[in-house]
Amino acid sequence: MRDTILIVDDVEFNRELLTDILKDEYKVLSAGNGREALNILEEHNEEIAIMILDLIMPKMDGFQLLEEVRTKPWSDHVATIVISSENTIGTEQKCFDMGVADFIHRPFEEILVKRRLHNIISLYQYQEELEQKIEHQTATLRKQFELLEIQAERLKQSKENMIDILGTVVEYRNLESGEHIQRVKGYTRILAERMMKDYDEYALTQDKIEIIVSASALHDIGKIAIPDSILLKPGRLTAEEFECVKTHTVSGSEILSKIKNTWDEEYGRISYEICRYHHERYDGKGYPDALKGEEIPVSAQIVSIADVYDALVNKRVYKSAYEKERAFQMITTGECGVFSPKLLNCFCKVKNEFEELAGSSL
Amino acid sequence: MLLKECYDAFGGSYELVKVRISKDEIIKKFVIKFLSEPSFDNLCRALEDENYVEAFRAAHSLKGISANLAFQRLENSVSVLTELLRDSDKKIVDKEQCKKHMEYVIKDYNDVIEAVRKLNEI
Repeated sequence: MRDTILIVDDVEFNRELLTDILKDEYKVLSAGNGREALNILEEHNEEIAIMILDLIMPKMDGFQLLEEVRTKPWSDHVATIVISSENTIGTEQKCFDMGVADFIHRPFEEILVKRRLHNIISLYQYQEELEQKIEHQTATLRKQFELLEIQAERLKQSKENMIDILGTVVEYRNLESGEHIQRVKGYTRILAERMMKDYDEYALTQDKIEIIVSASALHDIGKIAIPDSILLKPGRLTAEEFECVKTHTVSGSEILSKIKNTWDEEYGRISYEICRYHHERYDGKGYPDALKGEEIPVSAQIVSIADVYDALVNKRVYKSAYEKERAFQMITTGECGVFSPKLLNCFCKVKNEFEELAGSSL
Repeated sequence: MLLKECYDAFGGSYELVKVRISKDEIIKKFVIKFLSEPSFDNLCRALEDENYVEAFRAAHSLKGISANLAFQRLENSVSVLTELLRDSDKKIVDKEQCKKHMEYVIKDYNDVIEAVRKLNEI
């Protein structure tokens, strides 16, 4: 609590007169020059509510003292009232310019001095209370913000963990090996980044690409529901068996929609799209929903071509590996799958990058 | 001698000082304290030494004190002298004028001192 008044005046008579007037209501300290005042302020600035200042003094006058005080961290909390018999033009103005709270002309009236002191103390107290409140609230907000950041980071971590776990499940159950999943992720990234550069209409962003890439690991998660006897069968599948394999798109998307609430909407939605639609064809002859053209989400379109390419250039239980050049042709000529012209355009542009990635894994 | 009579004796205004300082006992205490207040002596010494910066400060102090105590006659004469001494570090002081006005200040000061001594004797 600030309850002290500091009187700064070189004339002892004036200091004593003010002290006598104020001592019933306040604690009073006094200084005979600016230097002395500064020392007292350094030591007692937390108790001093107001400094009453005379301007004309030896050893650091009032203005010099004000200049010094202005550089101090506590200067905003100690109000200054100048009492002076100076009535030269501009003196009062100059004082206010230097941050003085009030100017009282000598000779002063005791009652008015008390009133003004009282007003200024209330004003500063109110201001200080407000500042403390704001400081307190800011601190609370900052704490909450930090907490939110930590939680957001945890959420992100857990989403990534979940995708990794699911991806691992697919790897163990499946047979197409972990490398297939890693390569599909790689092709997906290459193609998606090309699409982002060439086609604004898909509204791809780097953030969205990151999600598509990690979600691409789950494209075949539905295969965990398909019996080994079919999945691992060498040679041709019967029509019935092929129908069974086709169900991995729907069952995969169903698995994902069951865990949807656990991760954020975009992750869930994109994983779902990829899982369900990565066997759709641009001409509408794909499965399971026979979507046509741009009805097929771009994420699924991209993963679809990545998946087909990787299947072609690698050996599978039901087929041997194609040459890269041949695989490239099979896709671009429509011999294997039907894709959007825009996607194929990008695919041609990134041919080398695809082949590099395919080669690196062999 | 009453405070009011004392003030009348040297051309002060008791009515005015009552407006400024509410308690008679404080007024009386500081009127008597004025006897030992050093500004007047400092002013005399500084003028003798032709130290006009110091003389200005002393005159300024004396002016403030006499104003606060409503020693009107003294306040008026010392105010004129203060203005003659103002900015003496930057310009040449009119010594003759200062001397002349110092005479008035001395007279008014002595009137105050004489009356206040009587007040103090009671």
